[in-house]
Parts: sequence; structure tokens; C-alpha cells
Amino acid sequence: MSDQTFNANPTVFALTKSAKRRAAKELLWLSQSDESDYDSGDEFEPIDGDEVFDLIRSISDPEHRSLTLEQLAVVSAPQITVTDQRNHIMVEFTPTVPHCGMSTLIGLSIRVRLMRSLPARFKVDIRVKPGSHNSEHGVNKQLNDKERVAAALENPALVEALEVCLATASRRGQPVEAGPY
Amino acid sequence: MKEDLPCTLVPVASLSGHEDRAWGVAWNPVKSLLSTCSADKTIRIYTYTSTPSPSFTLLASVPTGHTKTVRGIAWSPSGTSLASASFDSNIGVFQREVDEDEGNVGAGEWECVSMLEGHETECKSVAWSAEGNLLASCSRDKTVWVWEALPDGDFECMGVLMEHTQDVKCVAWHPTEEILASGSYDDTIKLYLDDPSEDWFCFQTLTGHTSTVWSIAWSPCGRYLASASDDRTIRIWKRVEEHKWACVHVLDGAHERTIYAVSWGPKPDNAGARTLGWLASAGGDGRINVWELEIEEDAEENSPPRHRLLARLEGAHSVSDVNGIVWCPREGYRSLLASVGDDGEARIWRISPSG
Repeated sequence: MSDQTFNANPTVFALTKSAKRRAAKELLWLSQSDESDYDSGDEFEPIDGDEVFDLIRSISDPEHRSLTLEQLAVVSAPQITVTDQRNHIMVEFTPTVPHCGMSTLIGLSIRVRLMRSLPARFKVDIRVKPGSHNSEHGVNKQLNDKERVAAALENPALVEALEVCLATASRRGQPVEAGPY
Repeated sequence: MKEDLPCTLVPVASLSGHEDRAWGVAWNPVKSLLSTCSADKTIRIYTYTSTPSPSFTLLASVPTGHTKTVRGIAWSPSGTSLASASFDSNIGVFQREVDEDEGNVGAGEWECVSMLEGHETECKSVAWSAEGNLLASCSRDKTVWVWEALPDGDFECMGVLMEHTQDVKCVAWHPTEEILASGSYDDTIKLYLDDPSEDWFCFQTLTGHTSTVWSIAWSPCGRYLASASDDRTIRIWKRVEEHKWACVHVLDGAHERTIYAVSWGPKPDNAGARTLGWLASAGGDGRINVWELEIEEDAEENSPPRHRLLARLEGAHSVSDVNGIVWCPREGYRSLLASVGDDGEARIWRISPSG
């Protein structure tokens, strides 16, 4: 992507404990393919905000690839709202700096991760935290325009950058050395 | 949620086969053909038997040659050409290889007769003028192109309209006059005319929607325009002067997510004299709505048409978004509605009195 630096010295936050409900299952699941956590979209399995957070917390930051979105406090559990009965998920994220040019890519990586992992019944809205970005409206609009998202996913250069960010997503909050990767 | 509505959408057919999201659907205006397009880069063409319960058979799966999603398709008024708009930034025109005679449905391959290059980024929509001599296309490059169809199958660009400030999502021609409408990510609708001594120009910008305009549909009579938006409303615009349209009504609360498609069907078979046809809408909430629109008696200039919700269907494509919806324009088939969704399916519905 771009060589421009948006935030050279980001604040790094400690990892929180893995979501309690998932934590117990995690060991059993490590050997399985991460993308098949949920079966077909027709089967009703309740999902909560902690599970959604687990899915996205370990996505790598596009600018600081050794750090996760959780470590940079870009995503957090309280910023996720799941209305399970209405099949709706709202994910809010906080760019590290208000002029962050990577915000669209971060949002796109969250969307793609959830698209690949969640049952099809969920409609997902993604937005930056109100007041956290100079182009808030523009970023939000683009991230929620499914045609723009679909076109982006047919752009090989963009998909390559996305896959780098998503490669670490399956750690689900585990530090690198603790995981099998 | 059981509602007491006068009509019901009865399933007629469910057509699967696309390997990815289905984006568009179009009925051939003269022949028994229905086509769909998809992110899988193909166009599927079905033939169907006569009403009341038509059955659909796949006639061809056209590879198209597009290297990315086929986003939109449109049949020419004569029914001989099918145009496609693709994310690969090209517009395709397809025709059947040999002249078929009706009934001999197996004959002739569908081949690409023209690939129109010019747009810089993803094409989103394509539309033929009422006479079939003009083709309009639009793209994320913010432009609308008007092409003239020449007799030898060639196309010449007549104008590049750079009026929108963002992604252009849809184009639609007036049903009888050479007036073009486009809807955009910039939340506006632009109306264009051809100046005989100059170029195509925008004569009005319709503002009011508060987010992306995804779809526009002219009423068959040409006096009204319906627009569907990400703001979850449908606006009805009325011709108040020869070259002036005004918003006369906002259909609010009918959808809970983005409205991706709106279709204004021709006067239904056996309809009353005052009817303006049926309006169907569909969107990200998976819902299909159908309204009946009528001219109000002793109507004032700016009064909206009388509207009544006829039918509502939830989960038309199960949990999937509905991306396209269109009424069959052919006489005798006007109670048929086709929809396409993120599930890759095309579904055919018949609107019938409830109970």
C-alpha cells in the first residue's frame, strides 16, 4: 500500500484475557480450521459481542503489522453491539490518529473477517468511533457500501494487503508464542 | 408479523446456478426470456412457458468474457441485444449468433458482439433508450456515457457526462422521451437531455435523499420517477413542468436496511383507468414491498399519486439481501416479478389476491 506513515509511534495496550466463554473451548478448537467455526447460515447459534471481538481482535494493523488491532485499542469488546434476535452486529473501531489513511483498510479487514466467519444471517454495520476520524462520514459510507466492498475484493493488490492483516486473526487474542503459529 | 394486505407474492420458481452473488435480473421485453447476472462473471438466460404457472428452463449460461463481476444487464427494446455492465470497467453487448425462429429455443449461441471500453473503473449499470438507438452506462469513475448504437453493430460515444461528484450507481431512460436519469453515491439524481446543437447536458439535479441512490425507475406513463436509497426511503418525483421534476412523496419506514432496487411495472393486465402501475422495492433487509399507485381524482399539480401497500414479503431470499427486482413488461405476464439475491438465486413471484 502507501509508504506514508500515519502514526509512527502508536500506544500499545496489553492484551485482555481471552473472552471467558470462548477461552475454555479454544484449546479444543485449535486444531480445527478456523474458518469453519460456524456451519450453514440456516442453523441458529446465538452469538455475543465477546465472540465477535474474539474473531477480530488479532487482525494485524496494516501500518504496524507486528501489532494487533486489540494491542492498538483499535477494537475492543465494548465497541461491539450484537442484537442476536435481529441478526444485527454493529462494530465500532477507533483509528489511532484522526487522519489515519489506513482506516478504510482496517474496516475492510474487519468486514471480510466477519463475512468469512459468521453465519450468513448476520447483517454487519461497521463504523469508526464518532469523532475519531477526520473523514468519518466518508469512511463509514464506503465500508457499508457492499458494492464498493465487492469491487475492492476483486482488486488483487488490495486483497493481498488484506490477507496479510487477516493472517493473524485466528489467534483470537492469544499472544504469538502461546499459539501454534 | 401477519399483516392484512390485499395481495400476496406467490412463489413461482426458484432458479439457482450462479456460483456467487446475483446482482441483476432482466426480462426480455418481447420474447419469453429472462436473464440474470452475477459476481461469478456469467449471465444466465432462461426461457419460460406461458402463464398462469410458467416453468423456467435454463437456455444458456453465457461466460461473457468479463474478467470481474457482471453488475448489471439490460435488454434492448427489440429484445435482440443484451447489454452488460461489469466491474472490469467494460460494457458488453450480446446477441444470439443466428436468427432463431420462435419455438426453436435450442438454436444459436450467445456471443459478445461489442465490448465498449472507456470507463476507467467499475461499471455499475447500463440502460437502453426507448427507441433502442441509445445506450447509457455509468461507473465509479463518476461519469455517465451515452452511446449511439449504429446499424452495423458498432457503438459511438455521443457524450461523457461528468456531473456527479461520486460513484454513479444507476442509469434509467424515460419510457418515451430521450431523457436520461442517473443516481449516485453523492446522494443526488441527475436528469439529462440532448441539446441538438450542442452536447448532452444536465438540466436538473434532484436532491433530497440523504444517502446513496441505488436505483431509479420511471413510471410507464413517464410523468413520475421513483428512486430508492441507502437512506431507506423511496422518493416519488413528479413532472411539474416540461423539464422539471419535483419530489411529491417519500415512502418511509417500508424497509429496515438499504433499498437496492425499485421497479415500476407497466399497467397491470385488466387494470383500472386511473392506475399508474405497481411499484416494487427490495433491499438489504430481504424484504419485497409492492404498492399500487393511482392518479388522485381532481389532483393538484404537486399532489402525490395515491398509493396503497398491496403486498409485503419478508425473507424473499432467506437471510440474503435482495439486490435486484423487476416486473415482467410483457402483456399477459405483468403479474410476474423477478428478484435476485446474495444467495445467487433468481426467484419468480406472482402477485395474487390474498385469501
